[in-house]
Amino acid sequence: MDPLFLAYSYYRRKKYEQCTEICTQLLEKNPYDQASWTLKTRALTGQVYVDEVDVDEEGIAEMVMDDNTIAQVSRPGTSLKQPGTGRGAPSQGVRPMSQSGRPLSGFVRPSTQGGRPGTMEKAIMTPRTAHTARPVTSASGRYVRLGTASMLSTPDGPFINLARLNFTKYAARPNLAKALFEYIFHHENDVRNALELAALATEACQFKDWWWKVQLAKCYYRLGMYRDAEKQLKSSLKQQDHVDTYLYLCKVYCRLDQPLTAIEVFKQGLEKFQGETTLMTGIARIYEGMNDMDNAVKFYKDVLYYDSMYVEAIACIATNHFYTDQPEVALKFYRRLLQMGVYNAELFNNLGLCCFYAQQYDMTLTCFERALSLAEEVTLSEVWYNIGHVALGIGDMTLAYQAFRLTLANNNDHAEAYNNLGVLELRKGHVEMARAFFQAALGLAPHMYEPHYNWAALADQLGDLQSSYNAAKRAVDAFPNHVDSKELLKQLKHHFSLL
Amino acid sequence: MSLFKARDWWSTTVGEEEEFDLGCLCVANIDNATDELDKIIIGSYHGILRIFNPKPTKTDDGWSGYKPEDVLLEASLPEPILQLEAGKFVSGTENLHLAVLHPRKIAVYKVGVTSGAVEHGRHFQLNMSFEHNLKRTAFNFCFGPFGGVKGRDFLCVQSMDGTVSIFEQESFSFCRFLPGALLPGPIRYMPKLDSFVTVSSTWQLECYKYQVLAVATDAKTKEESQNIKSGKRVTWDWCYNLGEQALDLVVVNYENCPPSILVLGERNIFCLTEIGKLRWMKKLEYEPSCFLPYCSVVENTINCLIGTHTTNSLMVYQDITLKWAAKLDFTPVQVKLATFQDLKGVIVTLSDKGRLECSYLGTDPALFIPPVPESRELNYADMDREMAQLQKRIKQSSHKAVLMPNLKKQEDDLQLLATVNTNFDDVSMATEVEFEDPDPVPSITVRVQVKARLTIEHINMHVHACWPLKSNVSSFEISSVDPSNPSEQFVSFFIVGKAMPADMTVSVSANYMSASGAPRVATARVKLPVKLVIKPVAPVKNAEFKLTLDSNKPPANLNELFPDLLGENAGGQGAALGFQYYGNGPIVTVLASKTSQRYRLQCDRFEAMWLMVKELSGRLNSHFNRGKNDSFALYFAGQLPLQEYFDLIDAHFEHRLNADRCKEMLNQRASQFRAIQRRLLTRFKDKTPSPLANLDTLLEGTYRQILHLADTIEENNQSQEVAALSLSSATSLFNYLIKLWTNMSEEEYKVLQQCVSPVVSSSTEQGWQESVDAAVTHLLRTTLAKSSKDQTLNPQPLHIPEDTTKVKKHLALMCDKLGKGARLVEGLPTNSMVNMNPTPRKEKKAKISATSKTVMENGHIDNSDDTETLIGSQFGQHKSKRNKEQDYGSDINGLSDLSMLGLPAENVDDGMTEKRKKKHIEAMVPDLDDMDDEPVALES
Repeated sequence: MDPLFLAYSYYRRKKYEQCTEICTQLLEKNPYDQASWTLKTRALTGQVYVDEVDVDEEGIAEMVMDDNTIAQVSRPGTSLKQPGTGRGAPSQGVRPMSQSGRPLSGFVRPSTQGGRPGTMEKAIMTPRTAHTARPVTSASGRYVRLGTASMLSTPDGPFINLARLNFTKYAARPNLAKALFEYIFHHENDVRNALELAALATEACQFKDWWWKVQLAKCYYRLGMYRDAEKQLKSSLKQQDHVDTYLYLCKVYCRLDQPLTAIEVFKQGLEKFQGETTLMTGIARIYEGMNDMDNAVKFYKDVLYYDSMYVEAIACIATNHFYTDQPEVALKFYRRLLQMGVYNAELFNNLGLCCFYAQQYDMTLTCFERALSLAEEVTLSEVWYNIGHVALGIGDMTLAYQAFRLTLANNNDHAEAYNNLGVLELRKGHVEMARAFFQAALGLAPHMYEPHYNWAALADQLGDLQSSYNAAKRAVDAFPNHVDSKELLKQLKHHFSLL
Repeated sequence: MSLFKARDWWSTTVGEEEEFDLGCLCVANIDNATDELDKIIIGSYHGILRIFNPKPTKTDDGWSGYKPEDVLLEASLPEPILQLEAGKFVSGTENLHLAVLHPRKIAVYKVGVTSGAVEHGRHFQLNMSFEHNLKRTAFNFCFGPFGGVKGRDFLCVQSMDGTVSIFEQESFSFCRFLPGALLPGPIRYMPKLDSFVTVSSTWQLECYKYQVLAVATDAKTKEESQNIKSGKRVTWDWCYNLGEQALDLVVVNYENCPPSILVLGERNIFCLTEIGKLRWMKKLEYEPSCFLPYCSVVENTINCLIGTHTTNSLMVYQDITLKWAAKLDFTPVQVKLATFQDLKGVIVTLSDKGRLECSYLGTDPALFIPPVPESRELNYADMDREMAQLQKRIKQSSHKAVLMPNLKKQEDDLQLLATVNTNFDDVSMATEVEFEDPDPVPSITVRVQVKARLTIEHINMHVHACWPLKSNVSSFEISSVDPSNPSEQFVSFFIVGKAMPADMTVSVSANYMSASGAPRVATARVKLPVKLVIKPVAPVKNAEFKLTLDSNKPPANLNELFPDLLGENAGGQGAALGFQYYGNGPIVTVLASKTSQRYRLQCDRFEAMWLMVKELSGRLNSHFNRGKNDSFALYFAGQLPLQEYFDLIDAHFEHRLNADRCKEMLNQRASQFRAIQRRLLTRFKDKTPSPLANLDTLLEGTYRQILHLADTIEENNQSQEVAALSLSSATSLFNYLIKLWTNMSEEEYKVLQQCVSPVVSSSTEQGWQESVDAAVTHLLRTTLAKSSKDQTLNPQPLHIPEDTTKVKKHLALMCDKLGKGARLVEGLPTNSMVNMNPTPRKEKKAKISATSKTVMENGHIDNSDDTETLIGSQFGQHKSKRNKEQDYGSDINGLSDLSMLGLPAENVDDGMTEKRKKKHIEAMVPDLDDMDDEPVALES
């Protein structure tokens, strides 16, 4: 049997190791065998390939060096930095916020966790945002980037020495260049060389190949040159419509913080590709990020019409139902996820919570039991935290206290647990302990309004009006519509003016 | 992710370690039976061809499944089978024949039946109709009525190098190169346009007319052969740029929808019209493995089955809408539809390991049955008992502030013993000493013994010596220790830094895994002799700071007390000894009064006396209490050296403030640097180059400033460490003096040590000043409070204070209260020991706090305020000697604000050498009778 044929067959069956092995042997015999060379680049790329659309990690440097910002202070509802006031969304008091001031999503993606911190210092100081975003549903493995192979060490050096590659020669050969580009971009993660190759190649084909323009845009995007990326993508769309091109273009607009334009482009794309679930999901994600839950859920439901197996849509709709006081409906969606074969601690945790709030008490503990048995270190603390919540709900303060203590034992950065422990201590009359817990909570998660308010109320009672005032102000900053904080603030202002 | 699983109708596993891939499965009525039922034909890469005719029967518990008689034929062909197709390949008959592609051969077989007497007597044969040898390694082939012939199928074999060879049934027709071929892709014949469609290495769908291929012959050679080396370049009819490699390609032509080409890419599925216009596409969020379009019941739509990798699902799409998803047990490499007896539209799937399944879609849930969590027999009485027990334990442990496992009972597996040699090392081990000293820096060896009860392996030993002390090794590993032979190691300690250590204790710790597998640490502390850091010199007559200690015994001869530290004083009377810290450090002179029961220590630096005070009191204690009658005691009757102590607090605080200032400045510079970077970036990005407007110079300058600032911070850190050591020594000394002064019990002394802690950490978050302030404030508000009225607690958050007035005030207040007899531990009677000399002291104490108040207000002592200063301290004339001038030399960039960052230089050896010259041992014979008069004299 012809070894090249076998290698090709292995490649088709995604057995990349065997394929690479055969290609390596073939190349040892004949180093100039272009077919096996191409096949090897493709097999190596396939090992590490992650869809670039889904990769969205905003580095600190990109955030701080961002010179594309259009308005520092944008109008509400036009920017992802300042989500709107929330049309149809439950208030912050009901649905918790992530550190970036967006509501928690039902589905953990790279971009749902990163915030846009204002300064470099803040960006460095708050690295562990993942802890504060509760894993509401299943995070699927495909969104977790495993790191590119350029970090792995190969015993006999890299397969292709990019420094010695004559890009002009390869750019002129379209049948080699495309695979080579993907290898450089995905496997080597060398964006600059990839850009060089793409620029030469698009020139070589007289700017007639839309694919090269999209690849150029990908490189520009990685290099933070969003306007250039936008130009390339638009030009590519003029030549040929492709779903990926629309997705990349919207990704560029999101990075430029123009969510409304992104939605516009998505809708244009939907006209061309009716019922394309990825485009609809994109719209829903933006609406969710802008705290516009009505529209987000509408588009997630559209997605389910075309693809009823779409885990993200199911999870997000379920989350929305849960936070809008319909735990029974949420339970149905979560149950469907379970039936579809999602089997993890997060799902059982959510099922347990839904069961509890839907008054199906018999199932609640069983679900949490399973969640605990499945949970890993990070999620374990969240499961215990929710058990603490359930215990609070049934009035078992001892269990609640112990559950929160266990939360902290598993993750001592859990600000919510600190806050709740503070409230419990306060109920027991241990003012000092309560104070310490509140201060720990607000130190860890300044974006949460609860510890600020609790501390303000406590300080008010103790007579420390200055601290109370400061804390109440911070609480209002974090949650402008919080009535109790505003009331307290008003009271204090009144008090101060009397003095 | 699927709700349901594909229901098994008939399945079997064929072969052992045989491999199958796309092309190895063919479903057709290959024996041309009259009932027109399909048979399954599979061929493996090992050359074995099998034909199945599934005929399961319904029984009570489902379908009967695979039976041996379902195999119609099994034949072993000599070469690997790459692809199987059924078509009308043989001329003169319209019957279906089987075309089998081998790497170098394509053969067409007739599947014949010899009917027997009974049903199972029938047997099948494989008869070769014809075969063509190929000159190139084949990749795949397609067939169809090329050129529009009726009722006949021609073959088109594509080789690995992208050459297509056309065979018109039994005869070879021609051979052509496809342009730009590198790796071949799927190829199909499109009857309507009489063209071939294929996906090339340039990742585009290309359509070649059969006519164009046929006529693209070289004019020179009329003869067509497979051995062509070159050929005319053929051009495609149309092409569509997919942007990805295709896995499979199917041309469909159903009655209820326009003819289309469906392409399964690696990431998308495309549907194009026959002239290369996109009808629709769908982005797939999984990795597809194979697909099969089939006719839909809805007008203008095409149904499609897609098999996936990793999730092993079979998705059913109607155009782009997902209609169904079913779970399979394996990843299919090829999927086909077939019509069998009793059942139409059976899904036939083949895995690469040879699992062949015929299934249909059903609503059997693909429920993953989760493992049942460990459940116990419910016994409520037992559970209640256990619960109560656990609650009790939780309650017990929650009483303790810190949850700690109880380790008391356990005996340590490992014992660590450290003993100091009495003598210095013969050859000093000191290396990397940071200062210069005329005498060699000595080192001393500590013997570390490791004894184990059991055999313990891999013991990690760590030696901790705080700067300025250092050891020659910091860590080492002992591979194994067993009870019979304890391990012994030697570690040398010496002084490296130009500072005075606050504590001569060093520790050695061992990390190991106990026999039970738990990590354990054993630690041994050892106190190094003070002679390691000081050396004997001639005593100095005058010094700025003096301390007088009273005792209740006649003074001892110092020569007897310090036999090891006599040096050149050995011949003296034993009334005065001088000690100097290594590295030209300050000289501490110890004097013993001849007449009164007093000792005096004097030095130019306050903090330097701590080690000697400690050493002296320790040696005196052991000297006098040798005879078991421990009646010896030391007293301190003088003034508390508050002012000197406060100076050191200020000095340390100055460094902290400086560190903060530097950090702020660094922050500012860093943001300026980033701002310039950003501007430069925009300029470089600009398509039309614009002048840089000296931004590059500014960038360079700011960069230098940042480096410079970093150096400054580094320097400041170092001097802060020295200041912290001084403060630590001074705090210890201060506490000790308070102890002697008020005759504290050990318990109280412990409280005092914990409040006014001699541990000065260099953390940026929390500094010594605020934590001591908080502790002292707490003391003042609780145990030292006069009435319960004062006992309000409203602690402030720990921030770096603006200045040190508060902590100084509180310290002075504490001393005042202690002087008045307050006790640090509740329940003790009022201290009367301090009131040895009641009237004047009371007066003085009252003024101490007043003094310190003025101190706070002015920041440093106002000299003109004579009385108060004098009362506050007997060394009132000593002024803060901090040289606040900045000598920053030349500022590299001429930026003036940087010069502010200069550190306060310390005048350490202020005239020290000069003084030394003047003195001589003989002159030093002290006349200490005026010892007690001195403060009074100053005061008057």
